[in-house]
Amino acid sequence: MSKAFGGFPALADVTLNLSSGRVHALMGENGAGKSTLIKLIAGVLKPDSISVTKDGSPLPLNDAQDAHKAGFRFIHQELNIVPQVSVAENILLGRDLPRRFGFAVDWNKVKTQAEEALAFLGATHVDVTLPAGDLPAGDKMMMKIAAALVSADQNEPVLYVLDEPTAALTGEESEMLFDVIERLKAKGTAILYVSHRIDEILRICDDITVLRDGEFVSKNEISKTSKVDIIQAMTGRDFKDAYPKREVPIGIDTIASLENVDTSNLQNLNFELRAGEILGVSGLAEAGQTQLLKLFMGLGKVKSGAASFLDEELPRSPSDAWARSVAYIPRERRGEALCLDMSVRANIVLPHLSDYGFYAKPWLENKDALEFGGKVQLKSSGSTQPVGQLSGGNQQKIVFARAIQGNPKLLLLDEPTRGVDIGAKYDIYLLVRELSANGCAVILTSTDLPEVLGMCDRVLVMQEGRQAHLLERGEMTSADLLSHFFNNNDAA
Amino acid sequence: MMQKLRQSGTLLGFVLILLFFALKLPDTFLTARNLINISQQLSMLAVVATTMTIVMVMNDFDLSVGSMASLSGIVAAMIFTAGYPVWVGLSAALLVGVLGGLFNGFLVSVVGILPFVATLGTLTVFSGMAFLLSDGKTVFGRDIPASFSGFARAGIEIGDIKIPMLTITAGLVIFICWCILEHTNFGRRLYAIGGNKEASHLAGIKVVRLRLYAFSLTGLGAAGAGLMYAARVASANPTQGSGLMLDAIAAVFLGMTMSRRGEPKVIYTLVGVLILGVLDNGMTQLRVDSYVREILVGLIVLAAVAVASLSKLRQA
Ligand SMILES: Nc1ncnc2c1ncn2[C@@H]1O[C@H](COP(=O)(O)OP(=O)(O)OP(=O)(O)O)[C@@H](O)[C@H]1O
Ligand SMILES: [Mg+2]
Repeated sequence: MSKAFGGFPALADVTLNLSSGRVHALMGENGAGKSTLIKLIAGVLKPDSISVTKDGSPLPLNDAQDAHKAGFRFIHQELNIVPQVSVAENILLGRDLPRRFGFAVDWNKVKTQAEEALAFLGATHVDVTLPAGDLPAGDKMMMKIAAALVSADQNEPVLYVLDEPTAALTGEESEMLFDVIERLKAKGTAILYVSHRIDEILRICDDITVLRDGEFVSKNEISKTSKVDIIQAMTGRDFKDAYPKREVPIGIDTIASLENVDTSNLQNLNFELRAGEILGVSGLAEAGQTQLLKLFMGLGKVKSGAASFLDEELPRSPSDAWARSVAYIPRERRGEALCLDMSVRANIVLPHLSDYGFYAKPWLENKDALEFGGKVQLKSSGSTQPVGQLSGGNQQKIVFARAIQGNPKLLLLDEPTRGVDIGAKYDIYLLVRELSANGCAVILTSTDLPEVLGMCDRVLVMQEGRQAHLLERGEMTSADLLSHFFNNNDAA
Repeated sequence: MMQKLRQSGTLLGFVLILLFFALKLPDTFLTARNLINISQQLSMLAVVATTMTIVMVMNDFDLSVGSMASLSGIVAAMIFTAGYPVWVGLSAALLVGVLGGLFNGFLVSVVGILPFVATLGTLTVFSGMAFLLSDGKTVFGRDIPASFSGFARAGIEIGDIKIPMLTITAGLVIFICWCILEHTNFGRRLYAIGGNKEASHLAGIKVVRLRLYAFSLTGLGAAGAGLMYAARVASANPTQGSGLMLDAIAAVFLGMTMSRRGEPKVIYTLVGVLILGVLDNGMTQLRVDSYVREILVGLIVLAAVAVASLSKLRQA
């Protein structure tokens, strides 16, 4: 198959072989063409050329209906949910809803069908009557997976395609997904799996195809390859999959301090953050990590206790926060961070517009967008390209570029490397280290525990909105950290 | 390719309309006199439509501009009647525009009512106030000072052409709106709010405050257009602005079919205004029945918007 956007090839004559009962990994750097390939097989994007063969005979594939009829099911990288509608309806979206007397929708049945699909995943805690938009990020993904699993219709699915499903899932949630993948595999379905997390690829996949700049690079069985080989194939160079070490000691100035702070949804916050320190915030899904970051953005109210930022009170609003050199990467790039129809340039400089004075200065904006875009290894066709056209990882880099512009004093990172490829991840970590060396304090939360352990000096563990532990990084392993998500007595 | 076609389609239609009238009305249509006449007829709509663009950039709406224009004319006329000097009447009318706009903005961004609903409400409120103040009557004759209505008849002579003051005023307003939206960071922020409100808020943009400002500018524009109208007809009545709202929104929509990503832009709004104005002028000269005219204008707007959204679908 091939596909070019405006003359620029995103996918050049790539071939992919998928066999039943096997999990096939598709890897490549950001913008390599993985999501484009998937959209071609899903029939949602018009290919320049494509030929599909199934069981030896050619298969017509002109639109999304054809793909569905052929038994292909998709979970795309960008979640398309209908936020106002209930979880149950989202799960059964596009299917005929169960009817009573042939016309009235049988809501009880809708509910049970949706619940069954979620139960198959093991996600029994999700309330299917809630509006989908109110679900936490991880549960939204669970809902999408459940939606792809529901197949009440005549044709049995033969292929599942998952585009970065674990990017927003906690370890525990990922395990549920892997478990389902095992079961689907046993049933003889083929699975195409995209992820930037190499460790999980090595664990759950059987075969791997690597793309680079829209071209096929290599294909192999997982057992015959290694992490080093894969990275080599993806990037064309050797790469160490590691975290850069701290080189400059933590400063002495206090950037922020919280003493016995309670807010409307957080309790018992007690910590002091020094210049250059990197503090991790960790815990089970939705334990209050995001709210803690938002507190520093002026999106929470201190009810009791003493809280200060740079010896004054906490920022009162996001605009106050940015003005006082707090930079923020929200969790959901598309909903909370980007204006998808607007240019790369406009999106990068957005929080810093007041630095340009009253009149817009396009040439300066351009210069800054190029500078900071370059720092995060952004791949785009220019600073006027709409960010909606960028690959998922490159959209995330825009949000990061925005945060490092203007030398922040406090950097709030909520899942900062979500969907970013290994090479670019390393560059982002280097940037974080550089900022920290210059005295910027960082608060980082991530579902990727090795990332938290690799970057942070201390880790604050939250349990149901309460600060439960404040741990020194020391020699802690992921397993040690994980055990603190559950136990209550502070061992440290 | 598709994109180019979509963008230039409306412009092409405009050129065809011009050609059509030029051929049908060889002696009267493309004359300096008629073009100047069109520009004067259009000046009120141009002011309302370009200031309307300011809120539409944020994906908001203002349905109350027409009744605000009526109200401002009435306010000025009542103050003239009471014997105050012209500048007092003008300032009061413009102030009413700003306050009315602020009230719209308050309902939309502080209270959080959908713009469609909020401004539909204020549409009737403003209209009711205009009736109440004027007692439902038209104010005209000696109550309207000559220095006020004279403005609409004045102009700047260049050679043997006289450019009307109303046209010049509209030109100034268009220029200011263009500067605001395209060349200030205030305008940049409004576009960002239109792109994604939540993201703009989290990126430190004062969304609530900016929406208030934007609505008050639209109110100010509507009030200004109301004064221009009152000066032109040397009278004020509580319904004279009511046609402006639909035309203004239609002009912005026509303009949106021409911009790259379908966002409203002042320059394109101006083209939309010209299309509507030229159609109106040409068909009047051809003695097309005014009801038929309305049907045609409606169909043309629908066609342009339909073509634009269809080609957008195809492109995706
Ligand atoms: N609608 C579009 N218009 C123009 N270019 C596009 C469009 N969609 C994708 N592209 C380009 O195609 C290339 C491949 O993008 P794709 O989304 O397939 O990358 P990816 O491999 O999924 O990357 P990631 O790991 O970041 O998700 C990118 O360079 C991207 O900018
Ligand atoms: Mg992708």
